[in-house]
Order: sequence, then C-alpha cells, then structure tokens
Amino acid sequence: MTSRLKRKLGELGVDTSSNRANENFCLIGTPLPPLEKTKDINEFVPLWKQEVRDEKGRRRLHGAFTGGFSAGYFNSVGSKEGWTPSTFVSSKSDRAKKKASRPEDFMDEEDLQELRDSRKLVDMTEEMDLTGGTQAELQQRNAIVNDEKDSVANALEATLLPAPKDSAGARVLRKMGWKPGQGIGPRISYRERKLQDLQTTNKKMLTLAEVKVTEEEEEASKHTYPRRDTPVLLAERKDNFHGLGYIPKAGLLDSLARSNAETSIGPKLSAGFGLGALNDAEDDDIDIYDNGYNPGKSRLAYDISQPEDDAFTIHKSSRRQDAGTGRRPNAARAMFSSGLPVLPGFVISETPAVEDKWYPGPEVPKGWTPNPKRVWDADANKENIESGVRKSEPMPYHKWKTGMTADQRGELLGETPLPAAPRSVFEYMSQKDRERLQSVSVSIASGSIPTATPPEIRLPCIEPQIAQAALRGFQPFTSDLKKQERYTAYLMSQADPDSKPPDLLKPLPGQRIDEFNKELEDYSKAANIFKPMSGLMAGRFTSAVVMEQGPKIHEGLHTPSSEEIERKEAAEKREEEKISPQQHAAKLGMYGAMTREVRPWQPARLLCKRFGVKEPDLPLPDAEEASTKAKADADAGQSWQEQAGVSVSNSTETPAAMEGETSKKPDLNNIGLGEDDSQGRDTLTYQRPSMDIFKAIFASDLEDSDDDGDDDLRKDDEDDTKNGEEESQKDDMTSKLFPDTSLKMDEGASIDLNTFKPTFIPRDKKSKRAKDVDGDGDEKKGEDKKNGKKNKDKKDKKKRKKDKEKKGVLVSFEMEEDGVCGLAVSAAKPKKDRKSRNDDSAGGEDKDRPKKKKRKEKKREDGEDDGMWEAKTQTAATMSQLPPSEVPPPPPLLLRSSTSVSSENDVEQRAQEIETPARARKRAIDFM
Amino acid sequence: MTPSPLPRSLHVTLDAHKGPVNVARYSKGNAKYILTGGQDRTVRLWNTSTGAEIKVFAAHGYEILTLSVAHDNAKFVSAGGDRSVFLWDVATGTTVRRLSGHMGKVHAVEFNEDASVVASGSYDATVRLWDLRAQTRQAIQVLEEARDTVQSIHIGPATIVTGSVDGYVRTYDLRKGELRSDFIGHPVTSVVPTQDHQTYLVTTLDSHIRLMDMSTGKLLNDFSGHVNTAYRCRGCFGHAEATVICGDEKGMVWVWDLMDAKVLPPNPPPKNHYKVITWTEHHPTDANELITASADGTVKVWRNTENM
Repeated sequence: MTSRLKRKLGELGVDTSSNRANENFCLIGTPLPPLEKTKDINEFVPLWKQEVRDEKGRRRLHGAFTGGFSAGYFNSVGSKEGWTPSTFVSSKSDRAKKKASRPEDFMDEEDLQELRDSRKLVDMTEEMDLTGGTQAELQQRNAIVNDEKDSVANALEATLLPAPKDSAGARVLRKMGWKPGQGIGPRISYRERKLQDLQTTNKKMLTLAEVKVTEEEEEASKHTYPRRDTPVLLAERKDNFHGLGYIPKAGLLDSLARSNAETSIGPKLSAGFGLGALNDAEDDDIDIYDNGYNPGKSRLAYDISQPEDDAFTIHKSSRRQDAGTGRRPNAARAMFSSGLPVLPGFVISETPAVEDKWYPGPEVPKGWTPNPKRVWDADANKENIESGVRKSEPMPYHKWKTGMTADQRGELLGETPLPAAPRSVFEYMSQKDRERLQSVSVSIASGSIPTATPPEIRLPCIEPQIAQAALRGFQPFTSDLKKQERYTAYLMSQADPDSKPPDLLKPLPGQRIDEFNKELEDYSKAANIFKPMSGLMAGRFTSAVVMEQGPKIHEGLHTPSSEEIERKEAAEKREEEKISPQQHAAKLGMYGAMTREVRPWQPARLLCKRFGVKEPDLPLPDAEEASTKAKADADAGQSWQEQAGVSVSNSTETPAAMEGETSKKPDLNNIGLGEDDSQGRDTLTYQRPSMDIFKAIFASDLEDSDDDGDDDLRKDDEDDTKNGEEESQKDDMTSKLFPDTSLKMDEGASIDLNTFKPTFIPRDKKSKRAKDVDGDGDEKKGEDKKNGKKNKDKKDKKKRKKDKEKKGVLVSFEMEEDGVCGLAVSAAKPKKDRKSRNDDSAGGEDKDRPKKKKRKEKKREDGEDDGMWEAKTQTAATMSQLPPSEVPPPPPLLLRSSTSVSSENDVEQRAQEIETPARARKRAIDFM
Repeated sequence: MTPSPLPRSLHVTLDAHKGPVNVARYSKGNAKYILTGGQDRTVRLWNTSTGAEIKVFAAHGYEILTLSVAHDNAKFVSAGGDRSVFLWDVATGTTVRRLSGHMGKVHAVEFNEDASVVASGSYDATVRLWDLRAQTRQAIQVLEEARDTVQSIHIGPATIVTGSVDGYVRTYDLRKGELRSDFIGHPVTSVVPTQDHQTYLVTTLDSHIRLMDMSTGKLLNDFSGHVNTAYRCRGCFGHAEATVICGDEKGMVWVWDLMDAKVLPPNPPPKNHYKVITWTEHHPTDANELITASADGTVKVWRNTENM
C-alpha cells in the first residue's frame, strides 16, 4: 500500500525520502507526564483514588460516601476527643478577660460567611412603627382609652404582653435625649413656647414681641423647654376607588343638608371682602363648600410653621380680589372649605357642581315585549349590513371588521370621498398591463371559478371523458337521491357536450343562483375526484369506504312521518318477499333436503387426533384447493405422480384444463425448460414435411398408393386407442366413440400427426384395412376389428407373458402391457400387435410389407427385448427434444398422442388415460 | 309402553344463588350431584338428594352462562360473561386453566367424550375448540360458520353439533369431513341429540321444540304449547328418551310424548317457578329425578314420590 503510494508520489514529483513526506501523525503509546511539577496531585491518580482537599490542604470528603460521621470530626471539630470548649477563665481572677461566648465562637468560616451575608442594616423581621410614634406612646394612649380597666388588669396586661418595642427612629431620638411627649427640635425659651401655644390656639400670626410674659412666669422664662409636640397629620391610606374628597355613604345632597342644618340661621355666606352689609346674599356668595368647617379641628403640623399661609379658607370674594390684583391663587395655598388642601395642579371650580336632573322614564305599556329586530329591520342599512349579504346570516366579526374600510364607512355616512392617492399597485400600472394580468388570472382559475357576482347560471365544464368516467365511477351523493339525480344529469350533460343542459339542471325552487352555481361547481369537482382510475392504477387500488352511504340520520328528536313509516314497512315487506327458498321451506316446515346444506369441512388434524378419528379424505373441491392440499398431504405424492403422468402422456402441449396444475407443479415436462413453458414449442408445432418425403424414405419400394399409406396411419391410431380401451375393459359406449375421434383425427391428422408413424405400420393390418374398406362403414369396421383384435390381443398377452417368464426380465413392464391404452404407450402398442400379427400371418399377405421396415424391425427384435424397446420409446417421448438413436424421430409421436388427447372430449376416457400412463411413465423413469 | 311420568313433586329447593341461575348440569356417572352457575358469578356444587351445597366455585368476574362436566367428574368448565372459558378442578376448587380468545360472552361450552377438547360457543359467532392436553393456549380450530351467537353445543363421538341464533343447527362431522347445516328458521337456543345420534331436539325461540333427523335433516316431530320467545329455555329428553321436557318462560315444565308430540297431563302444567325456567335437565339414569333452574334464583329438584 505504502509502496504504491510512494510510487505514485514519486511519479508526481514528490521526494518520498524527504522528512516531510515521512512525517508521522500517529501517536503510539501513552505520553509521559510533563517534567514541570503541577499542583494537581490528582493528575495521575485514577479517579477512585483522587482526594478532595480544600484551600488549606485539609482533606474533605471522608469516607462513607463523602463524609458522614468523620466529616465533622476532621473538618470542624478539630480534635480527636471531639469538641472542646474554649479555655475556661475564672471570673474571680481574670474578670476583665471574661468573655461571653458568642455563637460566632462556634462557627467555622462557612458559617461565619453565611452570617455575614445574612447581616443587614435593618432587621427586616422587626416590626417598625414608623408613623404611629413609639409603641410605648401607643400603649399609653390605649391606656387612656381603657381607663375603665382596673389597674390589676393593666398590670397583668403589661406583664403578659411582650415588652413594647420602639421603632428604630424612636430609639435614635431617645438616645439623643428626646422623650416621649415632647416635640422634636432644639429646646426653646419659655416665651417661644408660649408663642407656640398661642399660635396653635388662636391661629393667628403673632410675633415674639406680642407675647406677653407675666411676672409669675419670670422664673419660668429662665429655663429652656422642649418644644410642644406637633401631632403628625395622619393621612389615611386610600384603599378605595372613590374620587378624591368623596365621603362614602354620603350623597352630595346629604352633605349640603348637613351644612345647612349646621348654619341654621341661613345659608352661610362666605366671609371676606366685597360683600357689604347691605348686600343681599346672592347665590354666588353662598359658601357651598363650607360644610361645618371647624378650624380647631385642623391639626396640621405646617399650619403654624408657614407664617404667610393665611388661616382662612379661600373665599370667592377674596379670589375676586386676587383676580383683580392679578395674583394667581397659589395652588398649594388653596383649600377646600373643609380645610383639606387642594391637590397641587388642581383648581377649585368656580361654579358649583350642579346635580344632573333625572326624569322618570316613559311608562311601558302592558304586554310589550322587547323586539330589537323590528327596529333593525325597519331600515336595512341601519346596521351597516351590506345589501349583498343575506340578512338571515349574521356577519361574522372578522368579516365585519375587515369588511368596513374607512372609505366605506365614509360613504355610508355620506362623506365626500377624499381625493385619495392611488392605493394599489395596480393603479400605477397601465391599462394594458392590468388587462393582461386579469386575463392571466382568469386563465389560471381555468374558468371553473365563477367571478364575484355571477348573475347567470354557469355550467362548469369538464371534459367529456372525465364525465363519462365519473358516471361509471363512484357516486358521491348516494344518500341524497335528488342530489344524485342532479349530479348524474350534470355528468350526462357534460359527457355529451352537444346536448342541451337538461331540465334538471336548473336551480331548485328557493335556491339562489349563486348557490346553484356552487352546487354545480361541487359536481364538477366531485366528477374530477371520483372518476375511476385508469389503466394500471385502477387495478392497484380499491376504492375507499363509501362516504355518504347509509341511512340519513336526522338530528335531534325526530318523529318519523307517516310516509316514512309506510316506506319502511313497504321495504320490510319487500324484504320478506325476498326470503330464500330455504327460509320458505323452513317456514312451511318442509325440513329436509331444502333446508339442509352440506359442505366439506376440514377438521384440524389435531382435532381428529383428539377425537380419535381418522382425518377425513376430503374430495378436492377445486383445482386450487387440490394443489394446495397436494402440497400438504401425504397423499400428495401419489396425486402428483398421477398428474405428472398425465402431463407426460399429454406431452408438452398441455390442454387448457391441465394448465393450472402444470403451471403450478414442477412438471417433468418442464424440467430443463426453466420457467418458460413455451420453450421448445416450435419443435412441437413444426409442420410435418410433405408426404412425399416419407414416401421417398419409407415407401420407395412399394407400389402402394398415397392413400393407402395414409389409411394405414389412421388405422394405426384407431387401433391404438381401441386396444387401450379394450384392455381396460371399457364398455361399448366408449368404443363407439372412437370412430368419431378417429374421424376427427383424420381431418387434423393430414397435417402434422403421425409423421413418422409409418415406421411401425404392421403390414397385416394394412391389408385388413384394405379388405374392410371395401364394404363397411367406420363403425362396423371398428367393431370388426375389435372382435378380431380381442382374440389376437389375448393371444398376444399370453405369448408375451410366456416370453416374459421365459426371459425373466423387466417384469415391471407387464403392467404396462396390461393396462396400456392409447397415448404414450400407444407407441409400443402397434408394434406388439404388429408382432403378434406377424407371427400369425408370417407368410401370406405380409409380402407387401415394406422391406425396409421389416429389416428394421427384425433388427430390433433381434437385438432387444420388447419391453426395452418400449421403454426406449417412452423415454424418447418424455425427452421430447432428445434426438433418438435408433427410433425414428419421436416428436411426431408425441404430437400425435397429445393431439389425440386434446381432441377427445370424453372425460372418462381421459381420466382412464391419466391413470394408466402414469404408471407407464413411472416405469420408464425407473428404467432410466 | 307408556313413558314414565314426569317427576312432579318438589324434592328440594336449592336457593343459595343470588340472582338468576343460568345453568344446571348433572355430574357424570351416577349423577348424584349437580353443578349450577348463575348470575351471581359463582358455580355451586350441590347434592341433589340432601339439597346440601357442597362447594362454591368463585373466580368468574361476570355471570356464568354455561357449564360442562368432564367424563370423570374431576374437572368441569364454565364460561359466561367474562369471555373466557374456565377449566376447574373440582376437588381444589381452583381454575386449572383459563382459555381466552372469544370476543364476546360465551354461551355454550362442552367437553368431548374424554375431556381432551373443550368446545365453546360465543356471542362472537364462533365455536372455538380448545385442546386441554397440550400446553398451548390457542384454540385448535375456530368454527366460524355461524353468523350469530352460538347458543348450544353438543359433542358426539365424531360430531360437533352447534345451534346458533342465526337459525341453523350445524353438524360438523369429523369423520366425513363435512358440515351439515340445517336451517331451522328461528333462533336456536339448544340442541340436544339423542343417545344414538340419529335425531336431535332443537329448541327455538318460536315456542317450538323440534325433533329433527340427523342424517336427513327432516322434521320428525314438533312440540309446542309452551312459551319460549326470548330466553334460552333448554329442552331435553325425559327418561329413556320417551318424552320431551322443557321448562318455559312462564315457569311451567311441559312434557310431551316423543312419539305423538302430545302434551302429557297435566295440561297446562302447574307453575313451578315464578320466573323463566332457564335450564331443565333430566337425570341421566334415574327416571324419577329432574332439575330445573330458574331466573327466580332457585334450582329445584323434582322427584316422583309414588314410584319411590
């Protein structure tokens, strides 16, 4: 291999000895470990020996599958004795060194890491009270509320309940010196504090100077005080969906009424400028938002801290002034009359909200039922339904959605269409192009698809042959007879293109034209689909299950009408009439032959065995079963032999009846022919050479006429068959048939039979024939001969037997002689006869026998045994192709016999023939 | 010779079955015991003379429609709604073999003479012949000629006689290798051949019982008078095959003379069961005993007191 490659490379001009050409890419063996040391100690250790160590070199995963018990010992505890506590320090001597052990002391790195990770700034688990001040404060407040609780209960509660927890902010404040109940901020002087008090109570802007400090308060002003606590505005969480400022469960009227009730004197007029004492209260001036405003209620932290914020609600009058001065009211400062601030970005409306007026609905007349249809149907276009669409059919949503373009809608609404730009590609195309496109699309649609609005009936065309085929093929609408009728009508009209469309092909009453067109279209499709397949394909497929067959099923509860019932009954009656004669007989009680039906039945072999019954020999019902059975049965051998014998005797030309068997079985005839039965047929059907040749050969030395020779041949045939018959002791009937067959054969024989028969013509017979011919008809002749021959045959037999016994050879041929009839053995027969006859009339008329023949026969008689000779002919017969050595060519002989068989109609006779030659055949084979 | 009178006096009532009793068969030999199978999915073994329940065979998952006892009383087969044929060992009370293959309820089972083959006829319109000798669980042969439920099977020495709802009695002759189908014209519910296999008795759902000639298929006698239109009411021969007995749907047991087909007195017979009599079987040897199984859940043993 390599040498060849090298040579080739050398031819290519590559230096084969070069280092490059000899480079080896194969690695053999295990590579050595690299010289430099690696940290991985497990590198060359098999997997099961590898160890896992952590970064400190300690071994992890100790035994028992990654370390059970010992893991703790080696990894965390650290000593053999187990865990030891940190060294004990006596608190007596080294108190300062005493260290409380923390959980961290007992943690390893992993745990510590975990702890570190989990540590957060704010403890999420702790509940924070960010809004409600400290927990303690709350508790205090609760205590005030629950004053009536006696002290014991309180104490109990305090002890039982967990200690109040302050929020983180409160704790921080506490650490900064804050105490509950104080305000937040730096401490203030007494005066400042007083100002604060005043401000909260009076809601008036005061300056420090205005605050008077009395004498007795002198002392007090020497100290600083914590600030007053400013309660925080608790904005309630809004967890509903009401509008801002809406008070649930209180209508507008309620709130108004309440405000009215509060100001019982009259409508509360908005205070402020611009409203003189003499002015009547106008609608405008009524403060509609003022519903019981109590400034004391407002406890806002910022109320005081914002000095420029006026404590008054903003009134219209003041607003007017504002407007006049051009100063926009500050949104932040704007307040509702309730004291709530207006949200930033909102402005209080100038006109009061007016309630909607509600009117009672019209009285509904009694007995009125809603029927929206009436309204809709009043005007078809009301619902934007296209006129083309059927009204009964509701428009599907997607259609409705896509069906209305803006243009359409505009059109419906009566808008003048916009001078729209061209929307489709087609509009950019030239007219010509458009037309061409249209024609192309039409041709693609093959004309069977109707255009959008077909006003007239359009018969879709299908090709006549398809229509014809469909007529013969599957009928798809069998369940709907009317439809089927129309379908066939349509097909008929299409099958014959010249005919006018029949009357049936009109839309049904109540059927719209487009529906009808659809139906026709369906028909044409169905015809295309259900036309039977042609040619080869048709044979390969079976048609599918019938789709629309069977009774029509009515949906829902269906009460059959009287017509249907009648029809059913009629059908039943018809059914009854159709009962078989068997049933009829049974009905009449005529049991017996009429009701009995006997069939062959093959019990299973095992069953027979179990029942202890011999397996029945079933008569073969037909050839096929016979052949299959023959294969299986033990008897098959025999039957096979028989059949083989038959075909042998029949020679290669098989009669039609035998065709089945011969083709199925390995026939002896076919041996060597392969699968080709027709092989060698030419040799069999070859034309007999004209009589002259034979004459020239065989009858040269005689003055015999042509006729005589022919007669002889015929005669011979007759004799053969007759002999056979006689010997098998058939009745006269069959023998009577012979003249007919012989006649027939005469007609046919002149052509190709008996070709070389003359070889075996016995002279005496010929002479006899000559005698008979004079006076008698065929029949008589036959009978005569029969009689005469019987005697002769008997004698023959005897003689033969004697011979056999004497010679003691080939006993097997005895049978052949006895049972011999026509056909194959007939070749031997005449000779026998001939011989005997020869013996009988040694001299006499025998003189006119052809010398040549005599010579031949003599030779044979001299040299061979009779049987031997017969057998030879037999074998020659079977091997139809073999050129015979001493016998004149056998094929003609074969032919003769075969034709004789085929020409004979009598089955019985043939059956007999079938049997006997079989045996003969067997012997012949044995002999070979 | 006048046929021996039918045992008419109630000897014992076997009422342990819950629900209709579908079949009751005598054991072989001297037939001291009976096996009954019913809707309650059990087969029960009884002593007819004492009325004692000896054993309950419970393995079926559905009702039992048919039974057959082997020639040596050692085994029996039962079948029914569970579509398989159970072969039981009587002594141990366990199933020896369960033969499945039928596609529908099994309405008829029968042993052959030496219990080497079991034939089962089913709603699936087949008769399956099972081999009990071999270990194969496949049927030896399936007789598929029937076109409706096979309701009755009888196995002779070399014949298998089946009665089918399609109105045919089919005789499979193993020896001749032929199948003789006799068209009766009405659903056949039971076929009982005579001992000599020359004739057979056909019960059909037209309230007739017919005696047919086996060899020719001719009608020899026609017995009627009873009511049998919907249920399988098995008709059978009386003692010495001199009479024909059949319990009908009204619960009466009818007796006809085999020869002249006349109803033997009393006519009409007394009502013995208050529901349909599903199975009637005469004791194979004793002239004085008869059992009837009924849909009323009882099996009654009738004896002739006068003769005893």
